[in-house]
Amino acid sequence: MKAYHRIFSSDSRYVIVVLAPIVLLIALFIYYPAVDTFRTSTTNYNLRVRRPPKSVGLNNYVKLLEDDEFWEVTGRSFKVVIITLPLEMLVAFGIAMLLNQRFPGRAIVRTLTFLPWMLPGVVNGFLWGWLLNGEYGALNGFLYQFGLISEYQYWLREPEHLIFWVTVVQTWTRYAFPTIILLAGLQSIPDDLYDAAKVDGANALSGVRFITLPLLLPSFGIALVVEFIAAFQIFDVIWTLTAGGSAGGAMNPFTKTLMLYNYELVFRDLRVGLGAALSYIILAMSLAVGMIFVWRVYNQGVQEQ
Amino acid sequence: MNLGLQGQERLRLGVIYALCAIVLIWALAPIYWVAVSSISTRQQLYARPYKIWFPSEPTLESYKTIFTQGAKFRAGGFSPTAHLMSTGLRNSVIISVASAGIVTLMATGAGYAFARMQFVGKNLIFLLIMLMLPLPIWVSLIALFFIMSRLELIDTLLGLVLIFVTLLLPLSVWMMTTFVRDIPSEIQDAARVDGAGRWRLVYSIILPLARPGMVAVFLVAMLSTWNNFLIPLIFTRTDDSQPLTIVLTLFIGQYEVAWEDMSAAAVVTMLPPFLMALFFQRYLVRGLTMGAVK
Repeated sequence: MKAYHRIFSSDSRYVIVVLAPIVLLIALFIYYPAVDTFRTSTTNYNLRVRRPPKSVGLNNYVKLLEDDEFWEVTGRSFKVVIITLPLEMLVAFGIAMLLNQRFPGRAIVRTLTFLPWMLPGVVNGFLWGWLLNGEYGALNGFLYQFGLISEYQYWLREPEHLIFWVTVVQTWTRYAFPTIILLAGLQSIPDDLYDAAKVDGANALSGVRFITLPLLLPSFGIALVVEFIAAFQIFDVIWTLTAGGSAGGAMNPFTKTLMLYNYELVFRDLRVGLGAALSYIILAMSLAVGMIFVWRVYNQGVQEQ
Repeated sequence: MNLGLQGQERLRLGVIYALCAIVLIWALAPIYWVAVSSISTRQQLYARPYKIWFPSEPTLESYKTIFTQGAKFRAGGFSPTAHLMSTGLRNSVIISVASAGIVTLMATGAGYAFARMQFVGKNLIFLLIMLMLPLPIWVSLIALFFIMSRLELIDTLLGLVLIFVTLLLPLSVWMMTTFVRDIPSEIQDAARVDGAGRWRLVYSIILPLARPGMVAVFLVAMLSTWNNFLIPLIFTRTDDSQPLTIVLTLFIGQYEVAWEDMSAAAVVTMLPPFLMALFFQRYLVRGLTMGAVK
């Protein structure tokens, strides 16, 4: 009777009632499926073929690593990352420096600047597709009226340029996050440091070079890791900007990145086993690159101290 | 050139406002242009080379069209999406409000348990929830699709809400745990001495004090759910459950569709997040950068 009382005392009952649904949900919807996807990745499960799936060991992984399309798509994903990250950091650093100044109206400028980040990614892809449209896009109208171009350009026509526009739209969608991180970093740098440097004869530019940038390294590190994952797993923006992603429509091969390729394998081609293997390769790559980033930034940070 | 102190300050502000103008054009031009497109007539939009930057006769015709007839094709005739806007709007509202409400309640209860109580398995459970943050959940989604099929939860609002609640848990629980931890424990201890049980304590002491935290969790959860595209893309099929983010992509279809109608659909889709970002940005930023900014 006493033990019964202890187990079902008010405290234990509270913990069970509050945590049981949470544990149940993450077990059923996250961890069990994650294991199940891995198990599937070792089978030749294919919904187009009427046969019970059988185990093929790590064949799917080997098949992917020997596949040219896999490497092409992977290369494209890294290209997106390599163009987007510097672009984003540059924009974010510039805006953070500006918003770190004191001026009347700063709060409203800040609010408006962070707006794009909070809009749906599919809408952002659409907005830019509309801006860049060759026949009636606003960019053409704008440049034409100011005499900067003499005839309308078809910005999204050259397939090789598409991936560049994808990175521009990704930058527009995401720059607010690194800006907020860098702004917080800037605000934690004491003014005395700049004053001391001024006494030593430093100008504004060398202040940025020798004080601001080194002290912002940890902030850049956090921003880079988060933005790497966002750019590496880019999906929504591409879907509406270039993929022409209507149900059943063909996926634009020139902007097919890893996530879109994975979606196509599983939910369009129905090659579930192969797609499951790809999802684990994506997981491994994100983790590996994330770790390298963290490790390098951490080491640099330690050396600066 | 000697400007004097006042002149120098004026020059500084001048430069700053000029830079602000550039930043704001970059941030807002695409949003402005879609809003203008949605209230323009087709002739005004397609006029070339001359472009007007605000319609001389703004019209709400496109909004009427998308809610009553669906999108007009360029060749005339209407898409089969006629009622999709209304069902999409309904689905988006139900999914995001229900997911945000449920996850807020769950996270508040759990946040108190993690912040103030000792129990077996506490650290393990906390770790299992938080591990979802850095791990890409994409690996889970593939098998989850087949689980949801077996449970007959594909293309249902209930299925979507369950998935969103699960995905929102780590961030929400983390936010509420840190929030409850920051509530002075003296207040709670006093209530304990008075003999209040945990439920009474949470209900009458924690809930009122944790309200700002709960509002932040609710807003972040609602925004993420409303904006999400991948989850409904996988788990919905028909207007029974398709939210606006999906409906918007259906407009593109296989045919050339009137841009002014699509612009109106895009404005409707982004209006709630836009207004939330305008009026509750402080809450949203705090929640969305949790852990990244001290």
